[in-house]
Amino acid sequence: MPKITIDSTEIEVEKGTTVIQAAEQIGIDIPRYCYHPGLSIVGVCRICLVEIERMPKLQVACYTPVADGMVVHTNNEKVQQARRAVLEFLLINHPLDCPVCDQAGECWLQNFYMQHGLYDSKMVEDKVKKQKALPIGPNVMLDSERCILCTRCVRFCDEITETHELGIFNRGDHTELLPYPGQELDNKYSGNTIDICPVGALTDKDFRFRTRVWYLTETPSVCPGCSTGCNINVHHNDHRPYKAGGIRVSRLKPRYNPDVNQWWMCDEGRYGFTQVDADSRIVAPQKKTRGDWQLLSWQDAIDEIATKIKGILKKHGADAFGVILSPQMTNEGLFAAKRFFQETLEVENIDFEVVAREKGYADDFLMKADKNPNSEGAKKIGLSAVDNSGLEVAQMLADAKDNRLKALYICHHNLEKGFKKEEVKEALSKVDLVIFQGTNQNSTSNLANYCLPSASFVEKDGTFTNFAGRVQEIHKAVEPLGESKPDWTIFRNLSKRLGKSMPYFEAGDVFNALAEEVDAFKGLSYEKIGEHGVLLNGHRASTEKEMGALVA
Amino acid sequence: MSEKIISKFFDIEDSHTIEIYEKHGGYETIRKVLKQWTPEQIIEEVSNANLRGLGGAGFPAGRKWSFIPKDSPKPKYLVINADESEPGTFKDRYVIDHYTHGLFEGIMIASYAIGAHKAFIYIRGEYIRQTERLVEQIEAAYEKGYLGKGIFGSKFDLDLIVHRGAGAYICGEETALLESLEGKKGWPRMKPPFPAIEGAFHSPTIVNNVETLAYVPTIIKNGADSFANLGSERNGGLRLYSISGHVKNPGVYELPMGIPLREIIYEHAGGLENGNGIKAVIPGGSSSPILTPNEIDVNMDFDSLAAIGSMLGSAGIIVMDDSTCMVRALYVVTRFYHHESCGQCTPCREGTGWAEKVLKRILDGAGRPEDVDNLVEIADNIIGNTICPLGDAAALPIQSYVKKFREEFEYHVREGKCDVKGQ
Amino acid sequence: MEFCKAAKTECDKIIAKYPEKRAAMLPVLYLAEKEFGHISPEVEKYVGKLLDVPPVKVHEVMTFYTLIAAKPRGKYHFQICRGLSCDLKGCVKIIDYLSEKLGLSSDETSDDLMYTFTPVECLAACETAPMMQLNEDYYGNLTKEKIDDILKENS
Ligand SMILES: Cc1cc2nc3c(=O)[nH]c(=O)nc-3n(C[C@H](O)[C@H](O)[C@H](O)COP(=O)(O)O)c2cc1C
Ligand code: SF4
Ligand code: SF4
Ligand code: SF4
Ligand code: FES
Repeated sequence: MPKITIDSTEIEVEKGTTVIQAAEQIGIDIPRYCYHPGLSIVGVCRICLVEIERMPKLQVACYTPVADGMVVHTNNEKVQQARRAVLEFLLINHPLDCPVCDQAGECWLQNFYMQHGLYDSKMVEDKVKKQKALPIGPNVMLDSERCILCTRCVRFCDEITETHELGIFNRGDHTELLPYPGQELDNKYSGNTIDICPVGALTDKDFRFRTRVWYLTETPSVCPGCSTGCNINVHHNDHRPYKAGGIRVSRLKPRYNPDVNQWWMCDEGRYGFTQVDADSRIVAPQKKTRGDWQLLSWQDAIDEIATKIKGILKKHGADAFGVILSPQMTNEGLFAAKRFFQETLEVENIDFEVVAREKGYADDFLMKADKNPNSEGAKKIGLSAVDNSGLEVAQMLADAKDNRLKALYICHHNLEKGFKKEEVKEALSKVDLVIFQGTNQNSTSNLANYCLPSASFVEKDGTFTNFAGRVQEIHKAVEPLGESKPDWTIFRNLSKRLGKSMPYFEAGDVFNALAEEVDAFKGLSYEKIGEHGVLLNGHRASTEKEMGALVA
Repeated sequence: MSEKIISKFFDIEDSHTIEIYEKHGGYETIRKVLKQWTPEQIIEEVSNANLRGLGGAGFPAGRKWSFIPKDSPKPKYLVINADESEPGTFKDRYVIDHYTHGLFEGIMIASYAIGAHKAFIYIRGEYIRQTERLVEQIEAAYEKGYLGKGIFGSKFDLDLIVHRGAGAYICGEETALLESLEGKKGWPRMKPPFPAIEGAFHSPTIVNNVETLAYVPTIIKNGADSFANLGSERNGGLRLYSISGHVKNPGVYELPMGIPLREIIYEHAGGLENGNGIKAVIPGGSSSPILTPNEIDVNMDFDSLAAIGSMLGSAGIIVMDDSTCMVRALYVVTRFYHHESCGQCTPCREGTGWAEKVLKRILDGAGRPEDVDNLVEIADNIIGNTICPLGDAAALPIQSYVKKFREEFEYHVREGKCDVKGQ
Repeated sequence: MEFCKAAKTECDKIIAKYPEKRAAMLPVLYLAEKEFGHISPEVEKYVGKLLDVPPVKVHEVMTFYTLIAAKPRGKYHFQICRGLSCDLKGCVKIIDYLSEKLGLSSDETSDDLMYTFTPVECLAACETAPMMQLNEDYYGNLTKEKIDDILKENS
């Protein structure tokens, strides 16, 4: 392994490591625009020039592999001068847009020239005029004048999605990044180009002018959009949501996980979080009386529901009780539900799977047809009717229609996604007690007698198990909306009211109990999940299967 | 009269045909080579002849060929650089027009030496007549069995393909050329890997200038020493000097390496027109740092010019008489490099345009005192910091013109006009 | 939008010369220019299809090089050199003269598609400065009179 010295620190690194990577390993952050670890290396921006002893010219750190005995200077006078020069060159045709630019605050051009004190350009000539504020796809805006031609976005569309929408046209200082004339940047992953654009040339249509980025806080989490479970950061506006029309969650950004999504996420997941602050949120327990919804306190809701459940069980027995859990729920929600229904109520008809009638989009990169983040978790916890010898969802609806089911507890599902509207309506109308627990109203909740408000994925802690058996944590970014609560809390409270308390105070308590009880989770603990998740027992580490096309 | 190798064909009628070429001993060498020489022997002979790359960089040709990996299972390619686009350079056109088969014979020997079975001539797009000539003569060679399967009845196969560029100076730079040959825009590649390891189509490739290869048959035929002795130390043989500008007899002259620049200008190109004096001379294409009259006794070889801070480059000599405005000359040169910057890397893309704008403003009488230093700073900031040498090519003239003719730039800035008579 | 049979055969022949299809880009664009007059967006897409290259990569090539016509060009294409050697030999006056004679400014094509006028960088014929290229041929040692003669011959 070659040994090299960077700014007088000696370090031994793998052969083939580049200087920029080696520097990173000892915490030295060499500036970069064109280099991105997930893309091919082109060395075009020249901001990463460093001095390597015994080499006549400065070298780009992003492209130069380490060699044994190399002595690198990343910040001496010569390097700083070159860096200043590159910045100055980049600024001569860059518009002075910072006050109106969405990227301000997270712009790599602004950051660097502030560091290098380059406010006044010597450039007095007219700047080259290019396209401004051009929508180039459903999600992305382009300001060509701000583009520094790092080619990251082009490489993303060539190398990652292989959709080839973007190109670099003309030459010299007329060189311009644009989509192919007549084509839109509309691939399933287009939002990533915004993330990797180091300046404000590509911005989010959705986010444009919504919030200044310095008002945002970020919380690590996992996308609930499909069973891949891409790692994300939730960007939320804690300080001034009123400035953003009460929108607390501003955007989702992918978070690096080498084993799952690397640096990327899909647009469906990225822009699919609007439910969180939507008007359809259920904000308090409610019950339907003569067709009208009426708000209840939690206390009253729990009391009434507990009484009704008890009554039905007594009169009709556990066979008349159906439970439809959801793979949208966390492992904790599911485990608490399992204990509540199986142990407290001794109900056996539990299932979670509602096969969508419309098959979800899937590809060989990140997106999976199963649009739920925790199907694997639900299966492993043993909540599939196939494993627990209870009724499947379809059978529950059939039984309901035939008046054999007297109570139905439905979590999160919109049953119309799996069954015909009339079927659902007919079946549910024949059940005496329909309880719906979820985050948002839907056509199923409208058919219920009671609605209980669940906290959404940004409002609670917990874990999902992705399709490859990787358990990953979500974290509470904002407070639960209104009276909503994590699913596991609701089941704990109901259980207590019905005579069996669960000693859980935090999501971690539930998880650790689950890890003790469920084989697949044995040996895991909440404290040890870490930022990249852990695999369930019997799942191989970072397999090709999990990585999909990433490793190809 | 000194010896001539290539240029003696310039005045022979139909010298571009196989018949005439063979009448003058053409294609004898390759026949011999195919029978009696090993590739290693050829490389050694060319190395000993001190044949330098005549496209501009002057890299020893034999040494370059020796970099081709022997054990690589990949095909090898020879690419002939006929892009000829460094301003002031026009010699390769003469080679193609008049020494067509001499060039082919050089290509055959080089291909054999490096184990290439496919060779591409990348010719600048404007050379339409030359493209036609090459295509027609290649066909003639195929017909005679000099190209194609088993050339000259040997076991050696060689295909030769003419590939016409489309108007981009940067495609003269060897890696931009390879990109262009592969059907892409001409963005130079990061190096390493060098083409000899990974060039065209990810395979080992040698890129050589037209003129370089045109000298190869003579070297093999007459021996390394006889060629080396024609030139100066480490700079073997003759070369074709292109001379233009304010001289009486502009043209291509085949003269020894290391001949004094003064001799080329005054004895061969007939001195200056109208009896004017010299103001400045570009010795090796417009990117080479400019020389003043007291520097023209320099010997025209790679090492001597480097020693005085300039370059032999493509040996495109441009002579400027004392009626020349140096600010305008630099503006025209800078405009060229700006026009031809590929736009890939920041310092060249942005710096060339900036410098041109500053120069234009000075010419238009709106210069500012700080402009002169600023020009030098722009150049300093480009040099050595770019992907390919075009950045340096743009910056070197700026540095040298301003350094050597600073008063003229300052006068322009101060007075808003030119003080050179005749302007 | 497709090549005629003869052009298709020619195109296949070109492609066959190269180890990779894409390498035939410039020759096939030249062929397409000959066949269709200029490279319209449809031609661009067609060439992309022929070479298995996304159209955006053909467009990159089209906009990078100066010689392939993206718009219709005149029957007579004047490319007049403005390089250093020509500049030293007074090409500015000749360029202005030609521009005036043709009634065209830089990069313009006459409405009747007879003339296109393009000042260009060094054409590598500095020994004949000032010079220009008219279609396939170079014309050197230009004077105003010579321009008049050339225009008379080519109209
Ligand atoms: C900007 C630039 C333009 C060049 N143009 C040419 C050219 O037109 N013809 C040429 O033979 N070499 C040109 N070269 C040099 C080539 O990169 C390469 O060194 C040469 O073709 C190698 O051949 P040689 O070793 O026989 O000289 C150019 C280099 C640069 C950096
Ligand atoms: S738009 Fe952004 S990512 Fe794309 S080339 Fe320009 S600066 Fe780079
Ligand atoms: S692939 Fe799935 S998990 Fe990843 S961002 Fe898209 S929807 Fe979310
Ligand atoms: S130096 Fe100029 S021509 Fe060379 S790669 Fe950079 S931008 Fe292109
Ligand atoms: S980050 Fe190295 S050249 Fe751009």
